[in-house]
Amino acid sequence: MLIVAIAFLILLLMGMPVAFAIGISGALFFLQHPELPFTIPVQVTVSQTQNFALLAVPLFIMAGNFMNRSGITERLLELASVLTGRMTGGLAQVSLALSALMGGVSGSAIADAAMQARMLGQEMVKRGFTLGFASAVLSFGAVLTPTIPPGIGMILYGTIGQVSIGRLFAAGFVPAILLWIGLSATVWLTAKRRGYKPEREKRPTLRETAHAFTGGIWAILFPVFLLLGLRTGVFTPSEIGAFAVVYAIFIGVLIYRKMKTRAFLEALEGSLSDVGSVMFLIALSAIFSYGIVLERVPEVVSGLILGITQDLEGVMVLIALFTLAAGFFIDATVLIIMLTPIFLPLIRQLGGDPVHFGMIFLVAATIGNFTPPVGAAMYAVCSILKCPIGAYTRESIPLFAAVAVITLFLVFVPEAVLFLPNLIFG
Amino acid sequence: MNALFMFLRKSEAVLAGTLLLLMVILIFLNGVARMMGHPLNWTIDLATCFFAWGCFLCADIAWRQDGLMSIEILTRRLPPKAARALDYINHMIIAGFLVYVIYAGVWLSWVSRARAFQGMPGVSYSWVTASIVVGGVLLLITTLIRLCSALREDGFVRAPRRKGEASC
Amino acid sequence: QETYTLRFNHVLGPSEPFHQGFLKWAERVKERTNGGLTVEVFHSAQLGVEEDIIEQIRQGANIGQNTDSARLGNYVPGIAVVNGPYFVESYEEAFKLADSPTMQGWQQELADQHGLKVVCFDWVQGFRHFFTNKPIRTPEDLDGLRIRTPPAPIWQESVRALGAVPTAMNFGDIYPGLQQQAVDGAELVYPNITAANLNEVLSHGSETKHILLVNFQVVSSQWFNSLPEEYQTALVEECRTAGQETSAVMQKAEENAKAELVKRGMTIVEDVDLDAFRKAGEAAYEALGLVEAKNKVQSEIRN
Ligand code: NA
Ligand code: NA
Repeated sequence: MLIVAIAFLILLLMGMPVAFAIGISGALFFLQHPELPFTIPVQVTVSQTQNFALLAVPLFIMAGNFMNRSGITERLLELASVLTGRMTGGLAQVSLALSALMGGVSGSAIADAAMQARMLGQEMVKRGFTLGFASAVLSFGAVLTPTIPPGIGMILYGTIGQVSIGRLFAAGFVPAILLWIGLSATVWLTAKRRGYKPEREKRPTLRETAHAFTGGIWAILFPVFLLLGLRTGVFTPSEIGAFAVVYAIFIGVLIYRKMKTRAFLEALEGSLSDVGSVMFLIALSAIFSYGIVLERVPEVVSGLILGITQDLEGVMVLIALFTLAAGFFIDATVLIIMLTPIFLPLIRQLGGDPVHFGMIFLVAATIGNFTPPVGAAMYAVCSILKCPIGAYTRESIPLFAAVAVITLFLVFVPEAVLFLPNLIFG
Repeated sequence: MNALFMFLRKSEAVLAGTLLLLMVILIFLNGVARMMGHPLNWTIDLATCFFAWGCFLCADIAWRQDGLMSIEILTRRLPPKAARALDYINHMIIAGFLVYVIYAGVWLSWVSRARAFQGMPGVSYSWVTASIVVGGVLLLITTLIRLCSALREDGFVRAPRRKGEASC
Repeated sequence: QETYTLRFNHVLGPSEPFHQGFLKWAERVKERTNGGLTVEVFHSAQLGVEEDIIEQIRQGANIGQNTDSARLGNYVPGIAVVNGPYFVESYEEAFKLADSPTMQGWQQELADQHGLKVVCFDWVQGFRHFFTNKPIRTPEDLDGLRIRTPPAPIWQESVRALGAVPTAMNFGDIYPGLQQQAVDGAELVYPNITAANLNEVLSHGSETKHILLVNFQVVSSQWFNSLPEEYQTALVEECRTAGQETSAVMQKAEENAKAELVKRGMTIVEDVDLDAFRKAGEAAYEALGLVEAKNKVQSEIRN
């Protein structure tokens, strides 16, 4: 697996498209293992496209494209300008708020990041944010999506570790708010330091505000309708993206009457390249994960860690740090499946609370989606916005630090996590 | 040759767009039908099958439009000639990988033809596996075209008679 | 001495009794072959989805999979009967299946024509019941209820025959699916409910006992034939022993899970009209053309 990792880094540095670099280096593993059928790399790549949970990704990418052409995005931006126009870092704050709203709808950080990159990315650059900063905020903001229920990660962790999913859902809210505050403050600081001007000098008039609200009512109702669709059971979390696309088309054609045949075709055409670049990478990354799983890499490394300390808080900190580090190379889903059964029994044995540990672990694992060199949400945002990974990485350091600090804070203040579930479930 | 490529390119986009839209419609219908108490179990199956095809067709569209992301930390700092040489190497490695993907894909489609798609007797999963074969062929064609136009730009092969000609 | 490795994949979680059973099987095989044959167990489908793994096995990989007869039925249709409603009705009957000549013929066909070697199938997962938000006593009570089933024809036909509307869904989608009423219930074994905390979204367990789920341990026949004979024997014999022990653990786990669910507030319905369900279940075999196969095997194990 070491050869695979080195080959991957070399191919990346050679400027090969990341999708091919990850697939080709992953395939090298099979040259080292002639006893494995040579068809596995192809088979696991196809299997990724049959993964129902991943269907949400192309659906939300399409939703983003159709919202842009339906007039929803335009009115949402107008509304945002009225509400946050005098705030430092205006549109970046809007994207965080939107992630929090989408959090109640979608369980997938990748889908949320991809949709928002398409909706808000270019507008943010137009308003003077650097491409790297815009991409980093759009990507890291999606850490809220799986933290606010429903989230695929919580269901996975709860099922593997036999932890109450209802409790985990309830436990997500406070950490989500803390993460929101942390990210928002970081955005504010950066914007202040760089002198990103607020969009408006004057407070908007009541009339302007009212106009923006009535004009943007369908945009505001978008997450509300999605939530309704979800809570009334018409759609499962994996299916809700289809509803989002239909809603955007419906509003664009019938309510705003902005989407004519041409706009419709342009939205669809724009989705093709977006879906291709994002999904091809996610599909090929399965080849890479196969070797990591087969050689039980995380198990080996975690064994070393547990030799260091037996103190509950110390172990939790080490696990959080290890998960963050592993997350550079491994995406959240694989981390959760592999590490939950290794770490959770130990936490239980040391008297830790599985819900408390779960939230820390899930947040730390989710961050893996946003960190280079392997991170699905990062790749989605950067491919859609054509942002160089170097620029993204530089700008994401403060956001990474903020999220990491909050994760560590949760270790030492279990009440922040357990307060709500204890209130609801006793 | 040129007209053929244009036709391929156009039909690829039309097909990929249609597949994505059908996917949306099928998943939407699935939710509505289930709510009305008549779950249509085939809708999701068909949608995921379309997804596989749409995914690899879109991958080729992205590759042709230069939409696949790469990291330029090092290549940006290299002298142009060295960067160009790396570009050739990359394309050749990719072409080799795609030849393997096509070969393994054809082999897998053939040996696992008895595998049922979503447990439906009589519907072979090879219809899904075939998507990576067709996608691989298209990606390989695109890679070769990119390689060709680079060779042409560098004067290794003669420029085409008409501007914008795709073939080498 | 040449050493061999088998990478064994299953979709269940690491705390399920089956996982512990597989580990025990692995340990004893290693011991008996003095480390010559190692079995590495991967839980939670870490190596991949079941169908992919079965194809890898068919291509001769040193990989194994815990599977059910519904999936094996894709290759040899008759064997799917084992997954039908009320096919075997006790653990003893399930263990007797190994001696049925018809079953042995099907296994031979799987190995010779499809490259799939069934190591053993003494792994019984327990009785499946209907879990819903209302009591189920007769097939009529299931009328119009959308019940989640695994995506395979025999499951769908069985659940349809018993009176419900089958709705295919992956295991992981059940919790949110129930919470959001995308489905009205599921048909599972008791320990599934406690493991996935489904009692948080389901109020009633009705003991229809409609399927006694038998699991099959499958490896590549090409790989199996390449093993020294004493290794083959060790693998098969330890599989049977570990399987029967684990089945006994499952029976205990069923009772424990049931008690736990009662404690957690679930209503258990025991006065189910089993005869009515048994009669209704016949329709599934008719729909799949498996009536003859079913009668043949049943007569062989019940003579
Ligand atoms: Na969420
Ligand atoms: Na990462």
